[in-house]
Amino acid sequence: MAVPAIPLDALRAGDPAALSALFEAYADRIYRLALGVLREPSAAEDIVQETFLSAITHLNRFEGRSSLGTWLYRVAYNASLDRLRRRTDEPLPPDEPEANPETGEAVPLPRSIVDWAATPERWLTDREVAVELDRAIGELPESLRVVFLLRDIEGLSTEETAEALGLTPGAAKVRLHRARLALRERLSVYFSERMPREGGTP
Amino acid sequence: MNCEQLIQYLSDYIDRNLSEELTAEASEHLATCRNCHVVLDTTRQTIILYRETGRRGIPIERRADLFDRLQRSLADRKDCTS
Repeated sequence: MAVPAIPLDALRAGDPAALSALFEAYADRIYRLALGVLREPSAAEDIVQETFLSAITHLNRFEGRSSLGTWLYRVAYNASLDRLRRRTDEPLPPDEPEANPETGEAVPLPRSIVDWAATPERWLTDREVAVELDRAIGELPESLRVVFLLRDIEGLSTEETAEALGLTPGAAKVRLHRARLALRERLSVYFSERMPREGGTP
Repeated sequence: MNCEQLIQYLSDYIDRNLSEELTAEASEHLATCRNCHVVLDTTRQTIILYRETGRRGIPIERRADLFDRLQRSLADRKDCTS
């Protein structure tokens, strides 16, 4: 994560410029993670607030063993899961069966083999595609969705992702792999239906 | 390397995490297996689509509000402890 250094001492002392720098550097990242877990903008805003308040209160617990960003992600992720539990008022759905990170686990083999990789550039800004992407990621189990979000959307390393989510690096890798294949499968169905409709290939 | 193994290693291949030997085996398989090549390309494209479109932040009209709220909470807290 390439982010500007935040002066922690100034932050402890309540310096407004340091608070502003912290907010600028991390608010959007925290928001996206919380939104990824909770799928509700107002709840994600609450998590941003909670995370910064909690982080500033417990700044002395931050020992610099991980990066500040990873630590904030962890605070935000735990707060998001807490809220998810309270909201559903039932236990969280069971996690995906834990994979063995040493051997890897058999992932479902791809079913849809349509080559839609050369999607037109304009689809990046296409409303229908945006809705489809959001729906596809929303249908992933939360445990896979957050790993994909941190690794492939935010660009964290495997180690940073694992630390932020309290996973082993092996488990983070397996979940990322499953998430990518599941999303690919889901999007293949969508694009293979849409491309002929618009006269593209195939 | 067969198709099943290729799929197993696909993410590591994309992320360049495979040993030189496995990378060579995977490349060899990909050169002759069209289906696996399509899966590779579409998986990469899946990642690109999300990376290009998935980084929207706090809605601009909410951002200032949210920062104000944070500042107020911190100020209130200081009032309580002093």
